[in-house]
Amino acid sequence: MTSTVSPEGAWDELTLSEAEYRRAGARYRHRRSARAYLFLLPYVIPFLAFLVVPAFWSIWLSFNQGGILDSAKYVGLANWRSIASDTELTGAIKNTGIYAIEAIALVFTLALVLAMLLNRYRKGSNVFKLALYVPLLAPAVLVGLIWQFLTNFDFGFINLILNALGFSRLNILGSGTLALLTIVLAEVWRGLGFWTLYFLASLQNVPEELLDAARVDGARGLQRFRRVTIPLLRPMLLFAVVIAIIANFQVFDTVYVLTQGGPYESTSTIVWFIWKRLFQFQETGQGYAAAVVLLAIILVLTAISFWILGARRRRRV
Amino acid sequence: MAAQAGVEEPGELSQFSAEYTSAARRSRSIGLGKGVAAYAALTIFALIAVVPFLYLLSPSFRQSYELFSYPPKWIPHSLYLGNFRTILHETSYLRWALNTVVFATSVTAITLVIDTLAGYAFARLRFPGRGALFALVLATLMIPTAVLIAPLYIMISRLPGWTHSGINTFPGMIVPMVCSPLGVFMMRQFISTLPEALVEAARLDGASEWQIFRKIVLPLMKPAIVVLGIFTFMAQWVNFLWPLVITTTNDMKTLTVGVASLQGQFVTNWGVISAAAVMTMGPVIVIFLIFQRWFVQASMAGALKQ
Repeated sequence: MTSTVSPEGAWDELTLSEAEYRRAGARYRHRRSARAYLFLLPYVIPFLAFLVVPAFWSIWLSFNQGGILDSAKYVGLANWRSIASDTELTGAIKNTGIYAIEAIALVFTLALVLAMLLNRYRKGSNVFKLALYVPLLAPAVLVGLIWQFLTNFDFGFINLILNALGFSRLNILGSGTLALLTIVLAEVWRGLGFWTLYFLASLQNVPEELLDAARVDGARGLQRFRRVTIPLLRPMLLFAVVIAIIANFQVFDTVYVLTQGGPYESTSTIVWFIWKRLFQFQETGQGYAAAVVLLAIILVLTAISFWILGARRRRRV
Repeated sequence: MAAQAGVEEPGELSQFSAEYTSAARRSRSIGLGKGVAAYAALTIFALIAVVPFLYLLSPSFRQSYELFSYPPKWIPHSLYLGNFRTILHETSYLRWALNTVVFATSVTAITLVIDTLAGYAFARLRFPGRGALFALVLATLMIPTAVLIAPLYIMISRLPGWTHSGINTFPGMIVPMVCSPLGVFMMRQFISTLPEALVEAARLDGASEWQIFRKIVLPLMKPAIVVLGIFTFMAQWVNFLWPLVITTTNDMKTLTVGVASLQGQFVTNWGVISAAAVMTMGPVIVIFLIFQRWFVQASMAGALKQ
């Protein structure tokens, strides 16, 4: 471009033509996107390789057998037919469902109550928060060991108390329902600290002014809770329920240490079933199919949670 | 009674104030009662949370057969250190501890790096497909680990192009665990709360995106990084299923898997088992008490900003 001295010429030189403008914009946008991709790549590559691809691969695997010690063989629907008639898997699903309902209900109720107490009575609340947090630091394996201790027939704390109160000792881990209940209690005990702190943080997000306004308008405690706190908490409750469902349906560690699925598979959970089939019995076909079943269950439950906790907004105007 | 405010005669006023005082006194004692009940409840649950750990202290310092004596003696007359010696000498406990530290630290370090980078990209950089990609990342939150272990095992044991299997290796253990979507989500949420003006000003001044990231955004992210770091470290410290699957030799097990295997080795030797639990929890509790503020923040961070 030749340089001219007159103002009009200078203006021509500094401004772009229509086409040049569009091309420059595109170049800038491409450079900008390229930079963004550079930032993303370190995460996206492992993400695709170790999360996305395996997820789809596992669906493909459910139509195969073998693969762990040898190469996989395509078997069509054989795995699916085999687990459809497998009562152990349906038992595991049932156990996991019962466990999840009991555990989530119990831990949410306790955590909400404790959170409300901690929210209201702030003095010294730090000590309580710390104490509640400690079980979270323990790997589930330790939690299992601790609860094996507590439920031991001879010297377990629970049986000692029962004895002291005059009842006879219980073989807790030897009874189907009690064993499952132990797993529930162990996991509730472990998770209580986390959920209490979570609900406490949620409650603190409820602005005081709204509650005060409700109080001035004459609303009593329970009414304030139902009409002010709960609606404002709903997004966090939804998040909590979804996370809790996803986590609790995968219960495994405690089962491994405490009961090994027993007695007689009464505490067998879905992940326990999968792990046993894949790595202990080498019945890989069933393991692959069960994994896909687990995935489907979680997706469905998550969708249902979103639907239930989201729909109310539309009904209520 | 309250409706009669605006009264003129002193007589009525003093009657009103008398009733008010007694009502106030009643509500104060109810408040006091509620307070006592509340603190009692909190104390009970705090004890329930902590006592089971204390319950382990006594057996760890005693020989196993003593436990079966009834009624049980809580205070041992002499501290028996044999259980701890057994663990240190006859098991690979120290090796397990080392493995766990290496594993958890590496995963945390890598996760922090890639998650902050990706979080910044999602929050502040514009590119086609940003929304869709982020939605995909969030969607993978729903994928259970159990679904992934089989494909990952196959993948790692038969790495394309390598002759050796990745099972029982540190990289094999570490790398698949660095892509948790939760970290990216947290980082993005946090970065999007940072004022845009700062970044814009720097851009106008001609700083490159990398410079902006390093010099402006990163220093502001320190609290979020600490929180995510603790979160990730604890999650990997506690991880059981993945190390169980990916390690088969005693030398490569992490603490969780190793301590679980003690159950098979020392079946009813409760002294040894509780000693292992004490050894595992002890340092963790100490670290927790030192850095307590960050731990509590890490939990509450999950609730802030959906």
